[in-house]
Order: sequence, then C-alpha cells, then structure tokens
Amino acid sequence: MIPAIQVDHVGKRYGRTVALTDVSFDVQRRESFALLGPNGAGKTTLLHILCTILQPDHGTVRIGELNVIAQPTLARRDVRVVFQEPSLDDRLTVYENLNFHGLVYGVPRRLRRQRIEALLELVELTEWREKLVRTLSSGMKRRLEIARALVHDSRILFLDEPTVGLDAQSRERIWQYLSRLRSQRELTVVVTTHYIEEVEGCDRVCIIDRGSILAVDTPAALKAAHGQQLLRVALREDATASEIMLAYPDATVQRGDEIIIRSGGDEFAEAFLSRYGSRIRRLSVEEPSLESVFLSLTGREIVDRAAGARERTLAFGRQGGEHTR
Amino acid sequence: MNDATAVPQDRLGRAIRLQCGGLYAIWFREVKRAIRDRGQLIGGVSRPLLWVLIMGIGLNPYFRGEVYGEVHFVVPYTYLQFIFPAVIALNIMYTSVQSAVSVIWDRQFGFLREILVSPMSRATILLGKVLGGATVALFHGCLVLVLAQFADLSLSPADIAWGLLLMALLAFGLTSLGVVIAGRIRSFEGFGVFSNAVILPLYFTSSSVFPLDPSLTGAQTSVLYPEWLVVLVRWNPMTYAVDALRGAFIHFNQFEPWMGPAVLVAMAALFFAAALRGFSKA
Repeated sequence: MIPAIQVDHVGKRYGRTVALTDVSFDVQRRESFALLGPNGAGKTTLLHILCTILQPDHGTVRIGELNVIAQPTLARRDVRVVFQEPSLDDRLTVYENLNFHGLVYGVPRRLRRQRIEALLELVELTEWREKLVRTLSSGMKRRLEIARALVHDSRILFLDEPTVGLDAQSRERIWQYLSRLRSQRELTVVVTTHYIEEVEGCDRVCIIDRGSILAVDTPAALKAAHGQQLLRVALREDATASEIMLAYPDATVQRGDEIIIRSGGDEFAEAFLSRYGSRIRRLSVEEPSLESVFLSLTGREIVDRAAGARERTLAFGRQGGEHTR
Repeated sequence: MNDATAVPQDRLGRAIRLQCGGLYAIWFREVKRAIRDRGQLIGGVSRPLLWVLIMGIGLNPYFRGEVYGEVHFVVPYTYLQFIFPAVIALNIMYTSVQSAVSVIWDRQFGFLREILVSPMSRATILLGKVLGGATVALFHGCLVLVLAQFADLSLSPADIAWGLLLMALLAFGLTSLGVVIAGRIRSFEGFGVFSNAVILPLYFTSSSVFPLDPSLTGAQTSVLYPEWLVVLVRWNPMTYAVDALRGAFIHFNQFEPWMGPAVLVAMAALFFAAALRGFSKA
C-alpha cells in the first residue's frame, strides 16, 4: 500500500538561513503523525511545503500517487490544512465560513448542508451558526477552523500548532474530536506541536530540530531508545546550582529556579543524593518521557525555546504574512 | 482512488463544476461583505448627491459662453447633463478601486491562505474577487442613475442597457487596477492614500468636469488650455471611459464613438492580466 505521504530529501533555505536540510520520511494511511520540535525547528516550513504553498529548493513530496510539487492543484483536493494563524473570514458568520469552504471544494449542496450541521454539532457551535466570526472567542474560532477543514472529504489533515494559545480544556477537546473523527473515516492526521504531552497519543512522532530529523518512531519506542530518568532539583542556594552545573556540565539544564539533570539510572540518583542531599529544597524523579527523549536528543528542553509572541509575529512576517500595525 | 479510474470527460466536468462553485463562492462573499459594510454604502450614496445636486446644479448656470452678446452652451447640454455620466464613472471608480482592499484584508487576516490552498486556480480566485468588486461598483454606479431625473435626462431602455454594459466593463477594469495596486501597497492606510492619489487626478483629467471643446481645432485648444493639460487629458484612459458613458447617456461624444468602448475593453483586459500576474506570485 502506498503511504499517504512520502517526503524525499526535501531541503529549503530562506536566504542564508537553512530551514530544512535533507528531510525524508513517510506517513502511513490512517496514521496520526506528530512533528515535534521547538519553534524555528522547521516544522511550519515543512508543513507549508506539504500543503503546496511553499516550494522546496530540492527533493520531492508525494501525497498518495501525486507529486505535490508538479501537480499542486490536484494534490490540494485531498488535503486540508489548519494554519497556525487564524484564516477565517471574521466578517462572515460561522455557517457562511463553512459553506464557503464547501463550495470552494465542490461539495454538493445536500451533502454540504448535512455535513455542516453535523460538524457544528461536533464542535459544539450549533447555537453560534448565525453569529459573525469576529464575535467568537479564540477557542471557538479554533474549533471552527478544524470543523471547516472537515467539510470536504479530505484524506489528509494538516494541523499547524492547532492548540497553541488555548486553555487546557479546549486543547483536550480538540484532541478528542480528532480521535473521534479518525475512528469514523479514513483520515491521516499530521500535526505539528511543541506541547510534548499532546504527542503521547499519536501513532508516531517525528522529532525535528534545526531543520533536520533526529528520530521518527512510536512514542513507546522513542522512550525505550532515548528516554532517560530525569531529576528535577530545586536548591536552597544558588551557589549549589552552579556547583552542580560544573560537576555535570553535559547533563544539566537550568530552568527557572530548577535544575534538570539527566540521570543515568537509580545508582546515579543515589550518588547525587548522598552528595547534595542536604542542600536540596525539592526533588522529583521523572521516569522516561518524551520530554526526556527530546532532551537527550537535542541537549536542551523544548519549552526553553517555545516562542514568545514577538518571535511568532516575526516568523509570521518572514513566511509571507503581512503586518501593518 | 476513484479519480484515477474515472472517465477523463467526467473529470473535466467535475473540475469545471468545482471552479464554477468556487467562483460563485468568492463572488458571493465579496458582495455579502460589501452589503454588510454600511460605510461603503453611505459613501456610494453621498458622493453622487454631492457631485450632482451641489456641484452640478451650482455650476450649471456658468457652463455657457457668450459670443457677440448671444448666450449659448458650449456643448448642446446643460452642465448637469454633461457632468452626470462622469459622476457615474467617479462613483464606479471609487468603489472599484476600494473593493480591492479586500485583497489586503485577506492577506492580513490569513484568509488568503485558506483560498490559496484550495483546489481553485489563481485565475478563478482573482476572477471571483474582481467580479465581486465590479458588481458592487456597478451597483454604486446605478445609485447615480437614480438621480437621472435631476439632471433632466430621459433615458430609453436601450440607452440604459448599453450604459450598464459599459459601466460593468469600467468596473471590471478598475477593480483589476485596484488589485494591481493592492499587490504593491500592502497596508490599509497606504492603500487609502495611494488610491485617492490615483483616483482624483484620473478623474479630473478625464475631461469629466470640463470639456475639451470638440468644435475647436487642435491649435485653438492649445491656445485655450495649456499644452500639458491637453496631453494629460488625451492620454488618460478615463477620458475615453467617460466619453463612452456620455455617448450612452446623453449621446454626445468628444471623440470617435468607437474609441470609448474600445478603450474600456482594452483597460479591462490589460488590468486583469496585470492583476493576474501579480496575484499568481503572491
């Protein structure tokens, strides 16, 4: 069976900045596939290439049998994207936005109506159908955008940071919708995120940093291969912190008032405790998680590089978005 | 994969139906947004009122010359009749160019991406947008037509039909021009200022508010008006657009009657091509 998506030696640079270097991977049908990496890792660039709005410098991308670069218009029919930045028309109503999308993708009228009603139900926006989009909260807009992506028969759904800026409850809900959908029809989901906890439920995870792929595997396999026990330590005095940093220069990361230490196992932890035990205010031991996988692959924590609002704005501008204010 | 096994003809039909649906969706969206925007409508009503009822009626008595003590009109029409087709052109001009703001709007708020990743061709997207803007502009042109009785115009249905066709062509061309401008100037404020800087000079040098007297020879015209103004008027495509509308509504042409419609068609084609070129790169 042909994979849903084949990415073959794709590279892209913006001027001198290299966004992607020689990236290759496959996504199987019906799979949920996560691209995990800090901001600026090249996730969004990769996604934009996959959904045909950006041309790679070299390499090929196939969606099903179609070469995306040679036949973008055909490939777009099977694909749906939910962008990081909102792309709704906020002067149209909820229903009109969905209807517009259905028309543009050639969904027949009866099916369109039927499906829009069902989707509104699904994302719990039925009472809001006649409201202008600008009156919705950002969580509702996000849900509407995901609903919109499903009005037509997309086989592949790309989601670029779908849950960024949402409260935990809405985030949870969106993931529930997605898994419910995948159980209902053939749908391959590719999602980018820098929330590690969201990735746990995905079939496979691709860890990407500085434009290249570090690992692609199931969360369990990644944890088994690269996961490490982590010690999170809060100390009584700052001096001790620098002492520890000096003692284990390769294995420590500072974050706020905590230090995170990659532990080699229980023995390491015991040795560490006997040496610094008296000077520790708080200690927690974390069993292997994807966070530690990321840490051991890249040598730093993912949240360290989660972009602030300003960085996101700049990135948006670089990718062709416009700002006048 | 049903697509691959389907009959090619069926596929073509589907593709055409898809593009038509998209065209309709984009057109309808433009129109709907314009209807919801009360400010635009107010502008569309107030502009002709100002020009026809105040400028036109006010200047009406002065639009005549005296030769040997005998009063007669420069052209066999009142000023109000003379300026009326030009006001239609002005109203269409403003609305058309302004409607291209939606391109900036879409880019700014990300909606453009939603359209660009859709299976529609860029030409369809642009055509939908331009047709939408042109529809609204044509409607605003019709708002002026309602004032025809104040200008003492009696229009036959044939005049109106021919006039509407010309107006639609003009609206189409100018909306495309707006999209060209919007491709270069990407902020709302800049667009407003720039479009005014384009619209008003084009309007004033289009022989809209004063005629280049057709009874005068070229040499006499140059004596009466400075050379540069004559050149500007002659080169301004809007001159011929206004002339075409005058031909339709008051049966008066300063130039050859075929020139106006020809320039309108050329404008529509050229500006649309330019807009498409810019839009495909976007």
